[in-house]
Amino acid sequence: MDFRRAETTDEILSLLSELGPDAAILAGGTDLMVQYLRGEVAPRVLLHIEGVSELRGVRLVDDVLEIGTATTHRDVGSDHQIRTHLPGLAEAARQVGGFQTQAVGTVGGNICNASPAADTVPPLLVADAEALLVSSRGSRVVPLGRFLLGRRRTGRRPDELLAAIRARPLPSGSGETYLKVGRRGGMEVAIVGLAARVGFSGETITDVRLAVCSMAPTPLRLPEAEQTLVGTRGEPEAVAAAAAAILEATEPIDDARATAAYRRRLVEPLVGEAMRICRRRARGEEVAWN
Amino acid sequence: MELSFTVNGTKVAVDVPVGTTLLQVLRDELGLTGAKEVCTEGECGACTVIVDGRPLDACIYAAHAAEGAAVTTVEGLADGDRLSSLQAAFVEAGSVQCGFCTPGFLVMATHILSTHEEVSEDRIRRDLVGNLCRCTGYAQIVDAVLAAGRRP
Ligand SMILES: Cc1cc2nc3c(=O)[nH]c(=O)nc-3n(C[C@H](O)[C@H](O)[C@H](O)COP(=O)(O)OP(=O)(O)OC[C@H]3O[C@@H](n4cnc5c(N)ncnc54)[C@H](O)[C@@H]3O)c2cc1C
Ligand code: FES
Ligand code: FES
Repeated sequence: MDFRRAETTDEILSLLSELGPDAAILAGGTDLMVQYLRGEVAPRVLLHIEGVSELRGVRLVDDVLEIGTATTHRDVGSDHQIRTHLPGLAEAARQVGGFQTQAVGTVGGNICNASPAADTVPPLLVADAEALLVSSRGSRVVPLGRFLLGRRRTGRRPDELLAAIRARPLPSGSGETYLKVGRRGGMEVAIVGLAARVGFSGETITDVRLAVCSMAPTPLRLPEAEQTLVGTRGEPEAVAAAAAAILEATEPIDDARATAAYRRRLVEPLVGEAMRICRRRARGEEVAWN
Repeated sequence: MELSFTVNGTKVAVDVPVGTTLLQVLRDELGLTGAKEVCTEGECGACTVIVDGRPLDACIYAAHAAEGAAVTTVEGLADGDRLSSLQAAFVEAGSVQCGFCTPGFLVMATHILSTHEEVSEDRIRRDLVGNLCRCTGYAQIVDAVLAAGRRP
């Protein structure tokens, strides 16, 4: 195995066009190195991108937040613009693994690893996130939901770098949250994760976006469930209808962390809790970070 | 493939295959056996070291990613025979039983103390979530970090 360290995006792109599928992009390595040490992957070249400063940080461009994919979870969780405009993402980033995982693990790695349980994906899906993919041939923008194809499968072509994620800021009068259930308060892969972005007019819900992880091979937006809540006040019947629509659209499995039945049971209380938190946050109340 | 970096202020150079972890280099090449190898999956924090200001699990960090970096291990915390105030607090509070987790806790808690003017118990418990201890029940560890945080 060979090791190449890139200092700029251009260097990454020329190495990717030369090496194609032989190269594995190495960001924080918290997924890739574990898979390598287990013998699950055997790349010919590790292409190290942690030192590429162009890929780190957050910018507000034309009312869209652009997040460099090599930004670490710690930096996402403490970034003022993200905490203001994408609070669900900040909340999710603070719940990825432990401090050591967040100190080097990146948003780009979380997305490209394509785990069904990727915590940063649901809050990005409710913010209409798009993936900016670049190669030496050019660039393209793909909705995040279409970029994720299945467990450990994305639409990335072998010469492409996921350079940035673009997401729509939380509109005023709306509230957002990411709720994660694990067996303990930290260092847990989600049994179920739910992101919600909810707009209100008075007491009435006018706009809802919902997305889950650990309920299907990829994290998912849930348009049918969203529709059942619009025009309601988030009363128990509306929450139950939304939960039923989520269960219709997902296929939770039994695994080492939890049974499918337990995952199904969590959905309704999580939706109810998310509606309560979003309503309070939309009013400007502080609701404690998870 | 050759690799050089600084560890606890001293420049070192080694030649190891790509894919070797930073923990393997520290323990097997440099004889720095303070950082422990336990889960080798990033789950327990016993291998925590600081690389360019970031505490990370050395068991899953590619050694060659640390080229040119400044690495601090538990061996770098004391000043000769003089324990750091955190190490002394661990001794006083009885925070060490079998001791296998101790180097990781010391390095992680050193980072927490050096990046906060004041630390609450809540902060300490949250930021130590990636460090596991099978013996103490954590209370004595948290007490030691709180005590060290109160010292100038
Ligand atoms: C102990 C532990 C706990 C964890 N807990 C959680 C958790 O609670 N929630 C969670 O979601 N995840 C968790 N993870 C998984 C992991 O930490 C995250 O997915 C992290 O965000 C991965 O980022 P990274 O920079 O380390 O990725 P890497 O391991 O460097 O890369 C992951 C994959 O993405 C590719 N890649 C990386 N960056 C790019 C890019 N810019 N363009 C194209 N491809 C790229 C790599 O080639 C590789 O295939 C945990 C991992 C560990 C070890
Ligand atoms: S040995 Fe590295 S985290 Fe357990
Ligand atoms: S003292 Fe034994 S594991 Fe912590």
